[in-house]
Amino acid sequence: MARSNEVSINESKMVVPLNTWVLISNFKLAYNLLRRPDGTFNRHLAEFLDRKVAANANPVDRVFSFDVIVDRATNLLCRIYRPSDTDDPPNVADLEKPVKSESSHTVPVIVFFHGGSFAHSSANSAIYDTLCRRLVGLCKAVVVSVNYRRAPEHRYPCAYDDGWTVLNWVKSRTWLESKDSKVHIFLAGDSSGGNIAHHVALKAAESESGIEVLGNILLNPMFGGELRTESEKRLDGKYFVSVQDRDWYWRAFLPDGADRDHPACNPFGPKAASLVGVKFPKSLVVVAGLDLVQDWQMAYVEGLKEAGQQVKDLYLEKATIGFYLLPNNAHFHTVMDEIKKFVGSIC
Amino acid sequence: MVPYDTAAIPIANPPASSSSSTTISKPPEIDGLLAGAGYKVRSSDLRHVAQRLERLETAMLNSPSQHLSLLASDAVLYNPSDLSTWVDSLLSELNQSQSLPSLPSDLSDLISNPTALDASWMDQQLSPPTAAIPNQQPSQLTVVEEDSGIRLVHMLMTCAEYVQRGDLSLAGSLIQDMQSLLTRVNTGCGIRKVAGCFIDALSRRVFAAGGGGIPGSAYETEILYHHFYEACPYLKFAHFTANQAILEAFDGHDCVHVVDFNLMHGLQWPALIQALALRPGGPPTLRLTGIGPPSPDGRDSLREIGLRLAELARSVNVRFAFRGVAASRLEDVKPWMLQVNPKEAVAVNSIMQLHKLLVGPGLDPAHRPAPIEAVLGWIRSLNPKIVTVVEHEADHNQPVFLDRFTESLYYYSTMFDSLDACALQPEKALAEMYIQREICNVVSCEGSARLERHEPLARWRERLGRAGFRPLHLGSNAFKQASMLLTLFSAEGYCVEENEGCLTLGWHSRPLIAASAWHALPETAAVSPDVAVVGGAVM
Repeated sequence: MARSNEVSINESKMVVPLNTWVLISNFKLAYNLLRRPDGTFNRHLAEFLDRKVAANANPVDRVFSFDVIVDRATNLLCRIYRPSDTDDPPNVADLEKPVKSESSHTVPVIVFFHGGSFAHSSANSAIYDTLCRRLVGLCKAVVVSVNYRRAPEHRYPCAYDDGWTVLNWVKSRTWLESKDSKVHIFLAGDSSGGNIAHHVALKAAESESGIEVLGNILLNPMFGGELRTESEKRLDGKYFVSVQDRDWYWRAFLPDGADRDHPACNPFGPKAASLVGVKFPKSLVVVAGLDLVQDWQMAYVEGLKEAGQQVKDLYLEKATIGFYLLPNNAHFHTVMDEIKKFVGSIC
Repeated sequence: MVPYDTAAIPIANPPASSSSSTTISKPPEIDGLLAGAGYKVRSSDLRHVAQRLERLETAMLNSPSQHLSLLASDAVLYNPSDLSTWVDSLLSELNQSQSLPSLPSDLSDLISNPTALDASWMDQQLSPPTAAIPNQQPSQLTVVEEDSGIRLVHMLMTCAEYVQRGDLSLAGSLIQDMQSLLTRVNTGCGIRKVAGCFIDALSRRVFAAGGGGIPGSAYETEILYHHFYEACPYLKFAHFTANQAILEAFDGHDCVHVVDFNLMHGLQWPALIQALALRPGGPPTLRLTGIGPPSPDGRDSLREIGLRLAELARSVNVRFAFRGVAASRLEDVKPWMLQVNPKEAVAVNSIMQLHKLLVGPGLDPAHRPAPIEAVLGWIRSLNPKIVTVVEHEADHNQPVFLDRFTESLYYYSTMFDSLDACALQPEKALAEMYIQREICNVVSCEGSARLERHEPLARWRERLGRAGFRPLHLGSNAFKQASMLLTLFSAEGYCVEENEGCLTLGWHSRPLIAASAWHALPETAAVSPDVAVVGGAVM
């Protein structure tokens, strides 16, 4: 056991820069302490350990942020990130100044769902605050980061419901409309956030709300199934993630008694409804070649294609999970460029 | 249709302050990318940290999973931002726990380690818990009201700009417009109360000769304070967190002395007395010195409080002595008045008091030295085992009026928002009055009349560091108990956060107060190593 552990530590250390290795290993260590074998989660310790940052109406690198309560009944909070032309802080009353007054171009609004396997992190986690700020500058967008309810305290479908609530909220904000009086909405997320983005887009497409999602951006999205895929067997425990911990998170999120072929986990599996004919948004799916979940992610891409949906997949052979958290590797820059192109091509 | 929250001021964050760790400049050897993720590690330490992480991983693999979760529940962990110390301490915890026989099965978090502190907090809840009020949906606001809220905010900011520019007649007429608009805004509208306070404060500044806060006696202040204590958890959190730290600092000491910088009704102390009573090995002898304003009518209110606390102490067999020190200002207190005995362990407790000793920043310190320096100096001379400090997490001491106005508008609108969830009356109304007085002081007072000179934690850290104090970190146990008690006794929406060894309490992701603990390096630290100091005599 110890020997294969040595091997895996050495392997993972060779493929990421040292500070990335320290960051992700530290998360892994902390997360091991938080998951209990009986399926409960040490939430107090999780909140103690999570490094958070306050919203900041003072522009930093020309991006400022503020928090809004979207639904008081569930304490659903969102952090809004906006670009700024100056270094001066906006007037209190101008936080929700109409985006069309600041730009003659179409302004994409990216609704972002942070990762954390449905259980960890928040919209105000430092790593996700940083990522959202980057997206603003990259896509000249407004980013709305959703502080969705997490497992195991709040199982399926709470996170999806929160995403849906925010999607409706975003659609109804006149200040988010571009010059054509429409809100141009993208959904994005990493890990569990990618999974949520898919399901919220699906709900939008299937409901009669008339809400159009222009594009989905899924970074290492979290999917799975009952079957053990080749990548799961080959990469189990090698690059920060194990099949055992993936199973734990699915048990924490899915309804009691459900298995991993539940459509939330396996959207193209035996229990899922077909997406043929559904007006689903164009998707960009980023897959890391050292992520043990990749077979499920590629199956997702295939599933979309077979259902006649538009999808672009970006496979990064030597990337591990979390490569997009620090801008110190080539994959990071490749992905950022792709996201920029993707949003730009639609907006 | 789902009623969306339409508070005109989004849950606030200061526009002008830079309290976020990403904007404070860091020493060059710290890894910048990890700093952005909230971790402080020197680049030169990365290898060491990585090795430790590897060892931890191996150790955890060899450890049964029950040990892991017990480690997580029972070990007290500190300051996760300092990765180097963090991994070292985790490794030593893990090594220790592995050499112990198997631990008893984990109790649910809610009932593990019940301390006397928890019990007495519960006792002090005289009324049923102020739980979240899910049925009281905010009345669906019409578009007109939402517009009024936004208009009020616009007008407030414009008025503040006029004041900043010295255009008092324009400011005055705008104030009158705002006052009439206020009468037309629905009282259910979120922004109304806090806007009302700010309009009132501006009005005092512009119209009252010489500006001015809300007059009131010390007695009135105490009443309002007590209701603020009951209506929301800020003061309870301050007391509880400070008491936990003091209890730990007093461990092993038989004679202890607490100096309280603002006794009020002594609300903080029953819990500590009870906790000391239940201390394994028996309680110490406790002295409490309470500082407070002199009573005008010949009553000795300090002594009355002292007597009540003495009765409580007697009932739980704690040897107790009380001394009241009457002073209208903290800077009037001289250390000899506290009669500190060199053999006792001293705790100095300051809940929202230190900021009153600050002066306007940018004033020439040689011209008018800030009282804070003198007071920190004599605190240090008492050689305290611990100094507990709780302060507002805000920058309300900015020299430019407009900046101060804006920051306090964000801050107090968040605080009012949190108060909205309270159902207790008249606690809520009186708590609002308490906050209103603070707002008035921040906005309409200047010079020595402006006492509410709140500064953020980052600045207090610097100031206390310069004065020779070092942080005592508050750990995961204090965090957990604070979180749990908040969940049990307050509306949902409050959040406790850990900030490099300090704890903050906030509303919906905006920290509003910060609690920290400190100790002083001994002043004789410069003794040369080959001189032995034994029993006070130099050999």
